Amino acid sequence: MNNLIKNIVCRQSFWGYPAARTLFTTPATRVKHIEISQEKDVVTVRGKTVESGREQLLVPQIKECARNGERFCPECSLGLDIKHTDVLILSQYVRSDGCMLPRRVTGLCKRQQKKIGTMVTMAHKAGLMGSLKPANCKKDPEKRYGFKKFNKYFFEDTIKLPRAICKQS
Amino acid sequence: MSITQRVQQWATFGRVWHVYDCSYQNPFDSAKVIVKYLKGMQKPIYHPMNDCGDHVVCINTKQIALPGDEWTKRAYFHHTGYPSSATWTLAWELHSKDPMMIMKKAIYRSLGGNLQRRHTMQRLHLFKDDKVPQEVLDNITNQIRQLRPVPQRLDHIDQEVIDNFPKIMDYPEDYLPKAIK
Repeated sequence: MNNLIKNIVCRQSFWGYPAARTLFTTPATRVKHIEISQEKDVVTVRGKTVESGREQLLVPQIKECARNGERFCPECSLGLDIKHTDVLILSQYVRSDGCMLPRRVTGLCKRQQKKIGTMVTMAHKAGLMGSLKPANCKKDPEKRYGFKKFNKYFFEDTIKLPRAICKQS
Repeated sequence: MSITQRVQQWATFGRVWHVYDCSYQNPFDSAKVIVKYLKGMQKPIYHPMNDCGDHVVCINTKQIALPGDEWTKRAYFHHTGYPSSATWTLAWELHSKDPMMIMKKAIYRSLGGNLQRRHTMQRLHLFKDDKVPQEVLDNITNQIRQLRPVPQRLDHIDQEVIDNFPKIMDYPEDYLPKAIK
């Protein structure tokens, strides 16, 4: 029984299917948790949509912005002044290996995307997000090679933003 | 002299021992603060010729932090006096050899040059970690405030705190996490 239940993540591309299968009852590209269970002769396959687990903790301004059709940015909408040491905020914008998520996922404005992406790099270099690293990386900053093992900090005003991006916002 | 005046006299001229935690502190900014205590400049009786400086115990000097890429850009010059014996040691190389040297040099330099400098340096006690002898700890009565907040590492924060922290980003509906193998 247990070996039949698999947790897999599948992506059903709209265009990867023949023309006959262009109608779906659920969003086509939603992440699903597929459960396969067998009872005597009947095999049941269920696709459950996976929730991110963040719905309860979201700040209310996100929903407000979504309702008004505005873009939500921590600096523009909340007035937050994020530093590279705010790892609890920066870790929300990265993948499990510590890589910054693209703008179509984060939903930030161009300026914020660039700024937060740089601050994620700073936090990694300062060894503050050691738990979010690829498997082959040294997670403890003190075990890194050469000058990298020593503590360092950064100034956020050294983040250089292109003039075009500054003008937009 | 009454008892009150005698105690006042001791308190005025007694040497106070301060402790300074160097973890995640810039040594060059910290040196400017530490020097004031070493010279006794925070006291109303201060005078350059008045020997009223305090002791400062610097702990965790191995944990000092430099901004940006300064570990690889800052060089320490040394010349033995013999021809072609000039050496330039990078800050990170010097710090790997002696974790107290950068802090010591920063304070020595910001003391300024006069004949008192070597004697003032005698009142500075450097320790690379927080293991300080008990006889030194017994003297300490004051702590110098750190200049920079010590950042918290993500892996040192409880998972419960991380999970319950307010979120400012939710994944879109078509977001696909890295494939689970």
